[in-house]
Formats: sequence, structure tokens, C-alpha cells
Amino acid sequence: MAAETKLSHTAAMILQAIHAGYVYGFSIMEVTGLPSGTVYPAMRRLERDELIRSQWERQSIADAEQRPPRKYYKLAAAGKTALESSRKRYPLLERLFPAEETQQV
Amino acid sequence: MNSIVNPVFRAMDLSLLHSASLLVPAVRREEWLREWRAEFWHVTDARIESSAFCWQAQREVAAFCLGSFADAQCMRRLAHDEQRKTVSMHSSATQCLLWLALLFVLCATLACLFPGVRAEYDTVLHPVRPNLIVIAATDLNDKQVPAVSYTEFQNWRSSYQRYFDGLGFYRTDTQTVALSATRSGKFTVALASTNMMALLGLPVRAANEAADTNRSLPQVVLSYEMWTRSFGSDPHVSGRTIQVGEQIARIAGVLPCSSWKPPTNPDLWILVPGAQLATANQDTSGFVVAHLTKLGQDAMDTERISIMVRGEVEPWFCGIAINGNAAGPWRIYLFALFLAALALPAVTSLSMSESSFSSHRPSWKQNMARWLFLGAKLALVACIAYFASLDIAYWRIGGYSEIAELTQLAANFLLCLFGFRWALMDQRQRCPVCLRRVTHPARVGLASQTFLGWNGTEMICVGGHTLLHVPSLPTSWFGAQRWLYLDTSWEFLFADLTL
Repeated sequence: MAAETKLSHTAAMILQAIHAGYVYGFSIMEVTGLPSGTVYPAMRRLERDELIRSQWERQSIADAEQRPPRKYYKLAAAGKTALESSRKRYPLLERLFPAEETQQV
Repeated sequence: MNSIVNPVFRAMDLSLLHSASLLVPAVRREEWLREWRAEFWHVTDARIESSAFCWQAQREVAAFCLGSFADAQCMRRLAHDEQRKTVSMHSSATQCLLWLALLFVLCATLACLFPGVRAEYDTVLHPVRPNLIVIAATDLNDKQVPAVSYTEFQNWRSSYQRYFDGLGFYRTDTQTVALSATRSGKFTVALASTNMMALLGLPVRAANEAADTNRSLPQVVLSYEMWTRSFGSDPHVSGRTIQVGEQIARIAGVLPCSSWKPPTNPDLWILVPGAQLATANQDTSGFVVAHLTKLGQDAMDTERISIMVRGEVEPWFCGIAINGNAAGPWRIYLFALFLAALALPAVTSLSMSESSFSSHRPSWKQNMARWLFLGAKLALVACIAYFASLDIAYWRIGGYSEIAELTQLAANFLLCLFGFRWALMDQRQRCPVCLRRVTHPARVGLASQTFLGWNGTEMICVGGHTLLHVPSLPTSWFGAQRWLYLDTSWEFLFADLTL
């Protein structure tokens, strides 16, 4: 996908949330306030356009915490570039979310 | 109460997720459901308290699960888009070139693996030195038989020769050769003067000076055929010792594959100094290899040349020129390509000229792309023909062979001829706008029912750019195929306008 592609506000918010350290679907829903029916499809499209990449958490980590493994998302190189251009378009985007510690995958 | 209601809601939520998963394409369904179930676990963990029932929390969890339908639909659309991308590749110019490139890589890889192809290149790279003759006698069957004793050879060498500037001697014998402690066999062994390889101009390959631990042993040079047959083309064969008859000898290297087969075709050559040749079976006849001087070359064309011994002309011997120059695969290929280019008009009546029903013409960029595509196809077909013909000729032959060269010529010619014919025919059925093959052939009219009306086959470009009309009976008013360029009013008929 071209780096100059203009992202929707939703997609830009999701990229910003992932950049801030909210790296799985539910935490992105929580921080953006967007419903699941918006967040997950948007993430599918972002992944298709190679702006984000997904990776399953190691089973051992999930087992240690007695919960099912999560699918984590992180920004790809193209995603970082797209986020930069989106920040110019939506200047308040950067101030939306507080940074969270990145999960260990 | 809570212990009953919460599991009921949980079962309802999970059934929603499972229902939504039915919308997801089967290949992705399992992973999709796994992600949603994991997320559902975390949502439930964050929202639902096991000790109390909260209607608001259950509504939030249910809303979360309902969102899975939107996600499942999205997954379905994405899968459909991918499928359409695959369909749009179908019969496209890119797909055609990729298939040809794949075939080319396959043929080239096979050609690199076949030992016969390597031997053929070896023959071309290491030809026998020019202007050499073998001096022998001929029997009733025109076979070369040994006729020169070592004493005679010594006399010739010690005398001034006008026509020769180099003489080498070898004689052959069948001996038992022990290749290892357990393997032995009868081989044709040539006992040759030490200058023989230099005289023939053949490099001794795999000569490994470092492996020469015992230089006092006689040196053995293996023929290419023996190296491949008895040593399995082992590149580290030099330096090994073998027993030839009663003596131990050291393998000095391997001769390259050659199109020239020396008389009696020795399997291995033992290079020994003159004194040893003189003592062992002195009266046994052998062959003399001689290199012609400039005077000798000129004289060969006009008169009989003779060997002089102390001013006297020796009795007649037969001198047979060594022709060690193979045509080589590249020269054979060029010849076959030339023949195929000559024969192409005979097997195809297709011309690249065409007409159009409308005044519309493709842009110069589209024309350029079309010609470049044709050029790329022809180039790839020519490359495939080169390597495929080598594969066909040498897949069961391990060394140089004249039959293999003939097979290569025939295969090259046929592959080039029919490959080029296919490339031209394929080009004629590609839309001038998108270079995709036209499809959906439909018969229009019947020759028996339309006297002067048009009848033939009509095909359409899946991108909706053109219609191709091919007459079934070429007539003076409709002799060649015609393109009909479609305008934008046709667009609604075609699903994918991005093609």
C-alpha cells in the first residue's frame, strides 16, 4: 500500500492505539471507545494493507496466566509511515491515548 | 440464581460467535474463532462478575459478540477480493510470462544437472589442438591399427622432420586394473610418452599438486568416460593410487571430454619416460601422434607428406587428421534457430497485421506494451528451446555423442518452430488494451445459411475492452480477424472494471 494513502479517522485511531501500546483487539476497543464491529474489521483491512502485523502469543505465557492466548498486533514499517502522515492530518491524534507498556509476546 | 443465568448468557454469546463464524471462509474459520473466543474470554473477565448478575454487563458482552458478525462479513469480503485478484491474474500477460519463466528455470536447472550437458560444454571448451594427425596403418575395415614400433618412433624423433614439429607415441594393451582393494577390472591401458597430453593440447583436469604425496610413482591420466563410469565423477580422484597390471600408479588427473576418440580408445593413460617405453615390449607397435608444421599443413593439401629418417623417406604410413572440434550446443542452436525462422511462414499463415471495425486505435503505450510482451514471449520461448533441447538430447547420455548433437538439433528446430508459432497465435488472441486472452467463444452465423453475410467466431475480453471477430471462411471482404473496441456504455456488463 502506498505510504501516502489517506487513512480514515477510525483507522488512524487504531494505528495510534497500537503505537501507544494497546496491542490486542479488546484493549483497542477500550481505549478508542469504538465497538467490536468497527475495530476488528478495521484491523483486518489494516493487516491486509500491510500496515499492521499480527502474531499469536506464546501458549506458555497464556498458560502461566491461566487464560487463552491473545493475538497481538504491531505496526509494520508502512503503518508507521501512514501514522506519521495521519498525525499531520489529525493533529490531535497524538494526544488521544496514554502510552501503555508493550506486552511480551 | 447467578450460577444459572450467567452460564446461559455465556452459552448464548458463544453461540452468536459460532453463528458468525459460519460467514467466515472455511480455511480461516478456525483461527478467526480462536481469536474471538480469546477476546470473549477477556471481555467476560473484565465485565462479568461471577458473584452477581448485571444486566448492563451482559448487554455489553452481547454487543461485543454481535460485532463478530461485522468482522465475519469483512473477512468474507476480503477473501472474495483475494479470489478476484487471482481470477484477474488468469490468462493475463503477467501469468503467461510467469509460466514461461518457470518453465525456463526448470529446463535450465535440469540442463545443469545432466552430466551429458556438462560433458558437451567440456568438449567445446577443451578442443584437441588443431593440425594433429595420427600415424597408423589401416586394416581391411578401415580401422586404424598400430603400425609404428617405439624404435621407429625414436628414429623419427631424432631425425629432422620438415613436416612435423612434435611427435608423441603410445601403445595400448588390455590389463587388469585394481581401482581399490575390492574393485578391479580389465581396461584398455595406453603407455604413452610424457609429452602426449601437451601435444594433444588437452588440460589434465583435477590435477591436485597438494595431493601428490608420492611423485616417484608413474602418473596415470583417466579418460573422461572411465572417470564417470568407474569413479562416479569424483572430483577428488587425483592423488589416489591404483594398481595397473603389476605396477602401482598415481592418478594425476582426468582428461576433459573430447569429441575425438583416439584409436583403440584407451581408458587410462600411463605417462612414462622414453627409457621405460624402450624397455617394455620394445617391438610392440603403437600409434604416433604428430603435430604438423606450417609447411606440413600446406603440403597436406597438395602432395603426400613423408617422414624422413636420416635423409631417407620412410615407407608409407597412414596419417589421419584429428578433428577434435565439436560444433557445440550454441552453434547447433543458432543453426536450428535460423532454420526455424525460415520454416515459420510455412507452418503459420498468421500475420501481425489486423484490422478494426472502429476508428479507435490503442494508445502508443498500449502498442509498445503489446510488442514488448511479444518480444518477451519469443525470447523466453527461444531460451526454453535451447535448454529443453539439451535436456532431451542428454537426459540418458553421459558424455559427448554425435547422436545427441543430432537429437539436439532436431529438438531445437521443432521447439523453436512450434514455440514461435504458439507465441504468434497467442498474441493474436490477446486484447490490444489489457493483453488478456479473449474468452467465451461464440459461433455467429452459419456458412450454409448466410450467403454473403459474416459468419465465424466471436470472443470477448473479460475486461470489457474489445470483441474479436474471427471469420470461419476468410473472404475477400473479411479475410483477417477484426477487433471491435467497446466504449464506456458496455461497462455495466463487466464486474471488474479495474482490469
